[in-house]
Amino acid sequence: MNHLKLVPNKITLFVFFSGLISFLFFGCAKKFPEQKDISGNNYVLLNQDSAKVNFPSDFKGKILVITFIYTNCPDICPMTTHNMQMVQQELAKEGITGVQFAAMSFDPNRDTPKVLKEYAEVRDVNLKNFVFLTGNKKNIDSIIHEFDFIAIPGDTTFVDKKRPIYFYTHTDKLFLVDKQGRIRNEYRGSKVNSQKLISDIKSLED
Amino acid sequence: MVLVLAFLALLNLHLQKVDVKNAWLRPANKGMNSALYFEVTNNSGKPETLLYVSSNIAELVQLHESYIQKGMMGMREVKDVVIKPHSTFSFKEGGYHVMLLFLKKNLKPNSTEVFFLHFKNSGTVKIKAVVKKG
Repeated sequence: MNHLKLVPNKITLFVFFSGLISFLFFGCAKKFPEQKDISGNNYVLLNQDSAKVNFPSDFKGKILVITFIYTNCPDICPMTTHNMQMVQQELAKEGITGVQFAAMSFDPNRDTPKVLKEYAEVRDVNLKNFVFLTGNKKNIDSIIHEFDFIAIPGDTTFVDKKRPIYFYTHTDKLFLVDKQGRIRNEYRGSKVNSQKLISDIKSLED
Repeated sequence: MVLVLAFLALLNLHLQKVDVKNAWLRPANKGMNSALYFEVTNNSGKPETLLYVSSNIAELVQLHESYIQKGMMGMREVKDVVIKPHSTFSFKEGGYHVMLLFLKKNLKPNSTEVFFLHFKNSGTVKIKAVVKKG
């Protein structure tokens, strides 16, 4: 009976290690296709307590899960906010720290810090590592442009000839930003696969 | 007597043309907006139309539809909603919903609110909906 003895020669070793390096390099690139660096610009915003927040520099060194909302949205934005809360709670259960959640309003004229605070409170959002942001409309527009997020206001109607009603057509996304301020991935906000997002967060932790 | 009452109750059940189940709405603060969701079953052999919904908790109540267009989420008012014969229509997240504008009170989780659904054939149906996180 013949026994084949497998002895790796130089060519086999070269092919093996080339494959391994390619897998590690391109595999990771595929996992996180987004690489846009947003750390270059800095904007002064306000959080739900009216405290100043420098965006994104105040979040450097943390993994950031961020979305853009408006509080008059009754359907999609609350779904995204709720999904982020679920992920926040799951990470807390697993003892994973160093992750910051943020929801920035693209309707800052109506979404004052007070409105954002009430929005968070009625939803029992744990503000320990979840922040709601608003600010100057020009700054907000610049930020959402950096994220390739689109929010277009629709026609305005008025109640009692005074109070405006208008809704936005907007992108349904949330984003994962790494500790260096680079957008690394994006997800459908209202229907995010929580396990995939958590897995990606863990990958960025390493 | 008991049998007669039971028969009448059974008859009433069969005569009920629409059933509304699993009604819930989102928490929100006074002055803001919320959305009401539920499942409505048309037990009859004819199409049924939900014409409008009324409630004391909001200044305006409208039938709305969330939609996706070119990767963007939008929302628009719809005139009414038709429920096909012997079928269930879901007012659900990311789809059709009842829009509650300018709330007159805070909607806290676990509280219950009353709504009136006005149908073309079945008339008015009173429902209770619970405020749920979501």
